[in-house]
Amino acid sequence: MSDTAVEVRRRIRELLVDVFGGPSFVSTVHDAVSLREAGVPSTALVALLVAMEDAFGFEWADDVRPEVLRSIDSLAGHVVALRG
Amino acid sequence: MSADAVQDEYYHDLSYREDTPLVRTREGVELYCESTGEGIAITTLNNFFFTAPFWRDYTDELAKHYRVVSYDLCNHGHSTRLGQEPAWEEHAADLVGLLDALEIDSTYLLASSASTQLARDVALTYPDRVRGLVLAGPVVGPQIRRHRMLQRAWLRTLNSHDIPVLFSHMYPEFVSTQMIEEYGVPGFLGLRESFLAMSTPEELNNGLTLAQQGDPSTELLTRIQAPTLIALGDDDILLGPTAGHELAALFPNGRCAIMPKAGHVPFLDDPVGFQELVHKFIDEAEEHV
Repeated sequence: MSDTAVEVRRRIRELLVDVFGGPSFVSTVHDAVSLREAGVPSTALVALLVAMEDAFGFEWADDVRPEVLRSIDSLAGHVVALRG
Repeated sequence: MSADAVQDEYYHDLSYREDTPLVRTREGVELYCESTGEGIAITTLNNFFFTAPFWRDYTDELAKHYRVVSYDLCNHGHSTRLGQEPAWEEHAADLVGLLDALEIDSTYLLASSASTQLARDVALTYPDRVRGLVLAGPVVGPQIRRHRMLQRAWLRTLNSHDIPVLFSHMYPEFVSTQMIEEYGVPGFLGLRESFLAMSTPEELNNGLTLAQQGDPSTELLTRIQAPTLIALGDDDILLGPTAGHELAALFPNGRCAIMPKAGHVPFLDDPVGFQELVHKFIDEAEEHV
């Protein structure tokens, strides 16, 4: 696993703490687990997506598949892929 | 829009209340139902894309003055699943069974899009149970051919692809220009997540198929005696303001309120303004009872 992927996941966790709740909750959310099933509501997901645009300097496309938004892992994978 | 602003404005609590008992409405049918507040009843009618919890954020102010009842239709959400989608008449009978079980003599009906057809049918079949109608983005009346063409196109998209593609098809048609611009792609993706959480392909297929059925006659509307409010966004691509006023004029006691810049589901754009409209409408209707 690349350092870039590790760093992106760490940053996404920080953003999730900012937009949704304290670090105690976010620390219980594993990288591969479904954010929805973990209890992250769509409102927090939207806020996270907006925060990711600012943090990583890209804009979401409206044809991104739901699987990309599923977990911290999949979100990080998307960012890494965009960076080529 | 900033992340904080989205967090404040974009809120959908879709969770079910686990301690809520199902309500039996007829043999073999029990409905999930939430009742909030006290007083004159307002019953919301789902349009096959919503579930009962979805209404909380759009009726919270009304629940301070009235009793708001929201429920899942049979075969949808957390209500009983039957082998076959109920007909409109059965959905209407379920609603009356629900009112009986909740000891509600009569209620205002708050319907959106496809469920405005159910509201119409209940008002015609059970006039004594309906105090008034609020039809948001109605799909009854002279424009029904266009509505059904659109619903068939949605159904074809669903059956040819999947729910995310259906949502991409529907989004620019039911959401206002202002909301699309304001929320951007993250808002689209977030609302899509809510949409995915509320419906299965089977539910959408059954609902959109049922929406094609029912009597399209405009004349039916002239028989509805209950006070009726057409709540219409002036950015509703299915029904323009002029046609909205013409539609309201078909009802013996109808009126049309235009919500500026709102789309086909006008309460999404302005939940507070929408509830103020409904509150004012009910207060005035009750003065004449």
